[in-house]
Amino acid sequence: MLSLSIRDLEMRFPGLETPALAIGNFALPAGGRLAVTGASGSGKSTLVNAITGLERVKSGAIRWDETDIAGLPSGRRDAFRARHIGLVMQDFHLFPGLSAFENVVLPVRLARRLARPEAERAAMLLDTIGIRRPQQAIETLSRGEMQRVAVARALLSRPGVLVADEPTANLDRRTGDEVADLIIRLAAEEKATLIVVTHDPQVMERLDRRIRLSGGRIDEDSAGTPQT
Amino acid sequence: MIRFILADIRRFRAGALAVVVLIALSVALCTVVTLQERAVRLGSARAAEKFDLVVGAAGSETQLTLSAVFLQPAPLPLMPGAVLAKLAADPRVAFAAPVGFGDSASGFPVVGTTTTLIASLSPQLAEGRAFARLGEAVLGAEVPMPGGAEIKPMHGTAETGGHTHTELAYTVTGRMAPTGTAWDRAILVPIRAVWQLHGMEGDHDEHDEHDHGDHAFEADESEAHHEHGHVDPAAPIDERFDADMPGLPAVLVKPKTIADAYRLRQEYRGETTLAVFPGEVLTRLYATLGDMRSLLLAIAVGTQAIVVAAILLVTIMHVGARRRQIGALRALGIPKRSIVVIVWGELFLLFAAGAALGISGGYAAARLISALLTARTAVRLPVEFSAADLPLALGIGLAAALVSLVPALVALRSSPAEALRA
Ligand SMILES: Nc1ncnc2c1ncn2[C@@H]1O[C@H](COP(=O)(O)OP(=O)(O)OP(=O)(O)O)[C@@H](O)[C@H]1O
Ligand SMILES: [Mg+2]
Repeated sequence: MLSLSIRDLEMRFPGLETPALAIGNFALPAGGRLAVTGASGSGKSTLVNAITGLERVKSGAIRWDETDIAGLPSGRRDAFRARHIGLVMQDFHLFPGLSAFENVVLPVRLARRLARPEAERAAMLLDTIGIRRPQQAIETLSRGEMQRVAVARALLSRPGVLVADEPTANLDRRTGDEVADLIIRLAAEEKATLIVVTHDPQVMERLDRRIRLSGGRIDEDSAGTPQT
Repeated sequence: MIRFILADIRRFRAGALAVVVLIALSVALCTVVTLQERAVRLGSARAAEKFDLVVGAAGSETQLTLSAVFLQPAPLPLMPGAVLAKLAADPRVAFAAPVGFGDSASGFPVVGTTTTLIASLSPQLAEGRAFARLGEAVLGAEVPMPGGAEIKPMHGTAETGGHTHTELAYTVTGRMAPTGTAWDRAILVPIRAVWQLHGMEGDHDEHDEHDHGDHAFEADESEAHHEHGHVDPAAPIDERFDADMPGLPAVLVKPKTIADAYRLRQEYRGETTLAVFPGEVLTRLYATLGDMRSLLLAIAVGTQAIVVAAILLVTIMHVGARRRQIGALRALGIPKRSIVVIVWGELFLLFAAGAALGISGGYAAARLISALLTARTAVRLPVEFSAADLPLALGIGLAAALVSLVPALVALRSSPAEALRA
């Protein structure tokens, strides 16, 4: 479990007058469960990219426990993400030509040798999320199943935090609910801090805390007064 | 890793196939040029090494060599028969064998010569015995005629509109062992039979000598100038030559020592005769051929460069289209080195497959070309790789390895978030 603290974060893009994201002070304790909402273009994905190290941060600090990910070079950020952050994206980003099982273990396999316990854990996770045929080719799965495989992949290395950017936006209502359920349940079981970007009121309801972004700033925080 | 690469290649199999075929073609081109040039050079050097010295009438060294080594049907000028007698009597000469070209049978050259040459080409006959009578013939190893067959020689060749000599039919008495030279396709007959058939023997006055001076055995010779003599096929051969012999196009000479060879060549280079080392003439010829090879090879390498550039372009575009995939790999925290290995490995695998196909295809093509040429000339052309090919192959391999690295490095330039948005 990891805690998050953000200080004086500012993300700017060329051609934009105002920063796409500006957060003065924000903290999420280890094991916290956060929903991020906001209109389209309000900076939600930019926030996800910053805290997961997918995008370089030029000003401010983003601390996961004691590690300031903003200060790390890109290679070290990739390594930190591989070790500590489980990522679930809106487009599942699974790899066709491989089976469900192979997709789950891919990040490990491409980084080092897959150890026995990891393979067993992958099989266990696939079983937990309800994939009965781990050897099924990924492109023949239903969309709901695909996103569930992506969740299993995110959790394989026991990350301290699970970050999901609109994980249900590409799914229909019912499938989306199932996937959201799964994410919340597994994050709790795996004892991971959880951050979910979502528009779904039902999902927000089930998480402990909710922030709303507007124009790159936190304009509402269910935990108290929004800081600027 | 390899599973991932293969899964990816399967997804883009049409493109991958195109890349492999392109590379295979250009590599095959290089391979064929290199191997074929070597095959021709080695093959004809081996064909030439049987004779140390060729003496003919003054004229073209190249033509004399090509006729003597490859039995190429070309009109050669004649030199006085006395040259043969003089050479045969020379103490520095191990043997001197006359050759008379001009006739053919079923497309195979009929060459008039002596039993000395047969003994030199094939010390042990594969079948039968050498000729002992004017009407007998010995076959090269690859002339597809049975022993005892009758051969009706044709003046010139069928293609050049020659006519058949009806006066004489040779009977096959023997067959030589394979030599790997043009002589494998030759029909060897007694030189005196050729002379008599063309009405040249026993008619030594100045006028006749002159009449036959330049064109005696030519196929396009007009009928009016052409007298046919009568040959008694049962007459025993006589291989003692004196100064009264008719003209002949070439004498193959085996000098006793190397020093003798040089001295003889010196002596017979004159107004009326020409002496050449066929090996030397061929070497000079191949120097030109070598230049040709360099040119062809430069063209082949040039094509290769263009192909590589095209492939590079394709892969950079391909990587562009795959930016999302690479972004996803990086989002999953996969180390950059693994991504480089994947992108590089995938390309290099295609390069390697293309190169392997190209080299084996080129080798097969060179073998085929050699086989076709051998079928026509009987000169064995050995297709073989040599140590000299290694630097070129390694160079191409290294270039391919470096070129495949480019798209991988391009792919890593942007941040994962940027790549995912692509
Ligand atoms: N690479 C970039 N270059 C320029 N502008 C960018 C870039 N990335 C994001 N932006 C801008 O930053 C703002 C925030 O974008 P972001 O993707 O974070 O929005 P979002 O809240 O995730 O929206 P949505 O709900 O549609 O996904 C937008 O105005 C967007 O146009
Ligand atoms: Mg977004």
